[in-house]
Amino acid sequence: MLVELLIVFALMAAGLVFLVPDEYAGQFAAVLSLVPVGVSLWMYSVFDGTGNALLEGGQPAFETLANWITLGPYAISWHVGLDGVSMPLVVLTTLLTTLAIVSAWTPIEERESQFYGLVLFMQAALIGVFAALDFLLWFVFWEAVLVPMYFLIGVWGGPRRKYAAIKFFVYTNIASLVLFVGFFTLVFGLGDSISTLGLPAIAQALEAGQLGSVAGFGPGTVKLAAFAALFFGFAVKVPVVPFHTWLPDAHVEAPTPVSVLLAGVLLKMGTYALLRFNFTMLADVARANATLIAIFAVVSVIYGALLALAQQDLKRIVAYSSISSMGYVILGLIAFTPHGVGGATFQMVSHGLISGLMFMAVGVIYNETHTRMIGDMSGMADRMPVTAGVFVAAAFGYMGLPLMSGFAAEVLVFMGAFQSTVIPAAPLFTAIAMFGIVIVAGYLLRAMQKTLFGPFRLETDYDIGRAPLQDVAPLFVLLALVIALGVAPDLFYRMIQDAVFEVTALGLGGGA
Amino acid sequence: MVSAFEFVPAIAVLPLVSFVVALAFGKWMPKKGALAGIFATVGSLLISIWTALTVAGFLGSETVYHAELWRFATGIGTFNLHLGVFVDPLSSLMLLIVSLISVLVFIFSLGYMNDEDETGLPRYYASLSLFSFSMLAFVFADNILMAFMFFELVGLCSFLLIGFWFREDAPPSAAKKAFLVTRFGDFFFLIGVVGIFATFGTGLFATEAGFPHMAEQAITGEMPGPVGEFLSAVGMGAQQWFTILGLLVLGGVVGKSAQFPLHTWLPDAMEGPTPVSALIHAATMVAAGVYLVARMYGFYLLTPTTLAIIALIGGFTALFAATMGVVKQELKQVLAYSTISQYGYMMLALGSGGYVAAVFHLTTHAVFKALLFLGAGSVIIAMHHNENMWDMGGLKEKMPVTYWTFLSGSLALAGIVPFAGFWSKDEVLYEALIHGLGSPVLLVAWAMGLLAVFLTGFYTFRMVFLTFHGEPRSDTAEDPESVRWNVKLPLGVLGVLAATIGFINMVPVAKLTGLKIDFLHKWLVGGEVLNAEFLTGLEHYEPILKEVAGIKASYIAGGEIPTLLISAALSLGLALAGVGLAYRLYAVPEPVAHTKKLGGLRTLLMHNYYQDEYQVWLAQGVTLPLARAADTFDQGIIDGVVNGISSVSLFSGDRVRRIQTGVVSNYAALLTIGLALLLIVFGIVGGWF
Repeated sequence: MLVELLIVFALMAAGLVFLVPDEYAGQFAAVLSLVPVGVSLWMYSVFDGTGNALLEGGQPAFETLANWITLGPYAISWHVGLDGVSMPLVVLTTLLTTLAIVSAWTPIEERESQFYGLVLFMQAALIGVFAALDFLLWFVFWEAVLVPMYFLIGVWGGPRRKYAAIKFFVYTNIASLVLFVGFFTLVFGLGDSISTLGLPAIAQALEAGQLGSVAGFGPGTVKLAAFAALFFGFAVKVPVVPFHTWLPDAHVEAPTPVSVLLAGVLLKMGTYALLRFNFTMLADVARANATLIAIFAVVSVIYGALLALAQQDLKRIVAYSSISSMGYVILGLIAFTPHGVGGATFQMVSHGLISGLMFMAVGVIYNETHTRMIGDMSGMADRMPVTAGVFVAAAFGYMGLPLMSGFAAEVLVFMGAFQSTVIPAAPLFTAIAMFGIVIVAGYLLRAMQKTLFGPFRLETDYDIGRAPLQDVAPLFVLLALVIALGVAPDLFYRMIQDAVFEVTALGLGGGA
Repeated sequence: MVSAFEFVPAIAVLPLVSFVVALAFGKWMPKKGALAGIFATVGSLLISIWTALTVAGFLGSETVYHAELWRFATGIGTFNLHLGVFVDPLSSLMLLIVSLISVLVFIFSLGYMNDEDETGLPRYYASLSLFSFSMLAFVFADNILMAFMFFELVGLCSFLLIGFWFREDAPPSAAKKAFLVTRFGDFFFLIGVVGIFATFGTGLFATEAGFPHMAEQAITGEMPGPVGEFLSAVGMGAQQWFTILGLLVLGGVVGKSAQFPLHTWLPDAMEGPTPVSALIHAATMVAAGVYLVARMYGFYLLTPTTLAIIALIGGFTALFAATMGVVKQELKQVLAYSTISQYGYMMLALGSGGYVAAVFHLTTHAVFKALLFLGAGSVIIAMHHNENMWDMGGLKEKMPVTYWTFLSGSLALAGIVPFAGFWSKDEVLYEALIHGLGSPVLLVAWAMGLLAVFLTGFYTFRMVFLTFHGEPRSDTAEDPESVRWNVKLPLGVLGVLAATIGFINMVPVAKLTGLKIDFLHKWLVGGEVLNAEFLTGLEHYEPILKEVAGIKASYIAGGEIPTLLISAALSLGLALAGVGLAYRLYAVPEPVAHTKKLGGLRTLLMHNYYQDEYQVWLAQGVTLPLARAADTFDQGIIDGVVNGISSVSLFSGDRVRRIQTGVVSNYAALLTIGLALLLIVFGIVGGWF
């Protein structure tokens, strides 16, 4: 019942915060959001799931299965549960929500109760996405995330917020449509062999090779088409180049706390779904198309990093670098090795923390200077030494400094990809992708040198002072988490490894 | 009885504690964090001494130590990714060097930073402590992943310290360059690390479970199962693949040890405070690269191609950097190029099978280069931070302690008998010669190294004469600021060591007299356990050198002793010739530059062979425009297509505008209706209703 508790509490909290006067909304929301943090950490500490929730022999923790409605031949259930992949992501969601709420206190100055209400509503939906084990339930949560995000960008965003919000909405909705169609093609292909839309049942039916023809197309074609549709649907969310252009616009217009959640959690919906659907249910198709997917991954890494290098806006730099980092996730997934898939999942969590940290650091500077353009400022370390220090730490974390979580994640991905027998010429692919670690150093060092160091100069009219504690405190929390996970990756990696190990053996012989 | 080995982790942890203390509380501490650093590094030094004594066998029978400290991943099917301690003669010697230099640098910093009323001292001492921590942990790393991790942290610390004066323009830029150039090398290193794990399933340096041993097995003995599988997957022979791995790791070495072509960051790194330069050049960052090759020497010995490349890079860098050192006008610049050149010698030694010679030169160089940098620091204090040698002159009488210790360091650097550098450099060249006689590539490398001896003697004493001799050439040189005990003490200690530390391995004397005084050699040969169990002793390396790498010694003029004497006479003669030329040109009351005589070469040297230019061009002339082109492509083509599609479809410009003007609830309605429609369509198609 704990998953339900999390979701229902977040929904209730959202409702309560909507009703609270604006001046208390921020504090009230933060306090309320501590409850899911506590609950999820407690769940983490008593976590007893084993294996992968979708696969035979896997036993998710906190599982609830209750029949909900029956649609034709299919039972739609309230089926939730957490395994080693979803548990860390739920913890990430609750933690980042609280920190994002605190970091919103300074920059969000109008319609606060609505803002925090939407954030909490989105948290409920996000937890649902990671916990749902029934397709329709999952899809409802998946779509439900879009609504608050749309408003958060469209109402509280920057000057071009309408454009960015619409773009985000259209992009992700088209993606949802395509993935929905793709998934139901599979469902129809499975025919009588399934009687529910439960994800484990479907995954196991597919693994057992029970896919039939649909509309005259053989199982192979159906699988491939479904794979392509699902891949596109999730690739938009991740985003994978070339489906990424909504991301920089959304990030630039979104207020900082929203960017934190967008980069920190929403992007992980895409990689999480890729892992669940494309690389677990349809592992054989993924294996067969490994070259293509690996190219997508490497292009995302290098091209994303190059784009980041060309930017002048701090937030755009971080936004594009997310594309690069998510490329590593794809690379790890397609490797189909324990380190590859495990590292990719670990990277989802790690990047959630580090990109959140990075966006917040940019946000703190923006709060004080009201600019994010590299050319508009220099020597900020002179006036905001603490913020600058955290910024430097965050940037090095992003560059994959050892003993911080990004390094652990990336090294695991690289090791996994290097020894992959699925990707052809795996060492070469891996080596090319690894060049990303040089480019990331290039653009972040350049950004730091221009904005933080050198003689002090600021081209805006604002009086710059030290950032208030409420702005800086979340940074320290995140930094501590990033270091903790870098020193002890096993805090999450152990359960991740347990959940993804079976995945790496999928799609070898079975299937249609 | 407690063993020193149990406390080895504390050697690194103490400076880590001091990092935290200085960062958090330095502001309120009497010397702004310096005392924390001094206490910590003195502690490290004491434990290092204790450890070295234990390794020497004075304090019990256990002389090698290996322990796992912390495992990163314990799940099913993971590699053993861990932090561990490995103490053998090599690492215990290096621990000693690093902690000694760290202590002295901390003490010197009291004079260089505190007495000069610098701001940001807690940050300075915190970074310095972190630097010592990273390097010490790197030194006792028992596996290559851990080595890489601390190698990177060393890079971070150099970034923080080179850019210490961040309010100016040049230091942050130099810091960025240092990190970026070494990162470029580390990119290859990391591929190497990943490749080693993927190939061998382990990154251990020592024991039979370590990757050097598995590689040796793969080449000479029975192919270990997983290695064979991986090799057939990549479709390469063992030696070919190991050569690639070795070269990849070497990328990191070339970056950190500032070897050609990744040496360009190092002269710029002089923007950092001088004590930092001493630490970087003598004992930490730059030494890390060479140390790494020595640490995994058992692996490099298996691939003669890699060895030859190491030797060539080393010999070339030694000569190449020395030529640039000849025309520099600033004190620290001369020293910077001398560092690059001297590390070239160590690489030359490693590549030509001179393991002991390399470690010996690493040791002596640590002492005399730290001394020279601290001496330069003392001069810079005296000169009110003017580093131009042409404004100095005549400082000899005014700062005798600095002068005499600096002279000791210079004699060592130039390789004048009996100062430390003579013994080690002579051994480097001797090893390169005897092994090069059978191998033309090594012989070329040796010849370059030998030529550089002359240049070293010349630029070193050009620096000494311009700085300390003649008449003062500026007002500050007339009346230099005096320095205190905290400057003189480290100089004194190092000055004595620079004169004497060569005595630990006087190979020529040992060979001539038959006395067993080649202590360092014996130290690295190690005992039974080291060679049979841990496989990192010289006794284990020597047969591999002969049999697998095919590097054998041959002699000229009829034997070992004559070759030895000829080699020593050659290097000493050339060094003296260099010193003599410098004396003639610059030890005069009013020296002039004399660089015009170099003609066109002068421009080339002044511009450092345009190495910076092409690397900056690669970054700013190639990568940046490429990034901009990608950005234009992204905005114009990819996003353009998206916008194009949307404008001809449902969301045409006109309608988008209409949607945008709608009240927010419309969007929610839109979404809900869309979802409902979707479900209904599928329900009908699927026959649910």
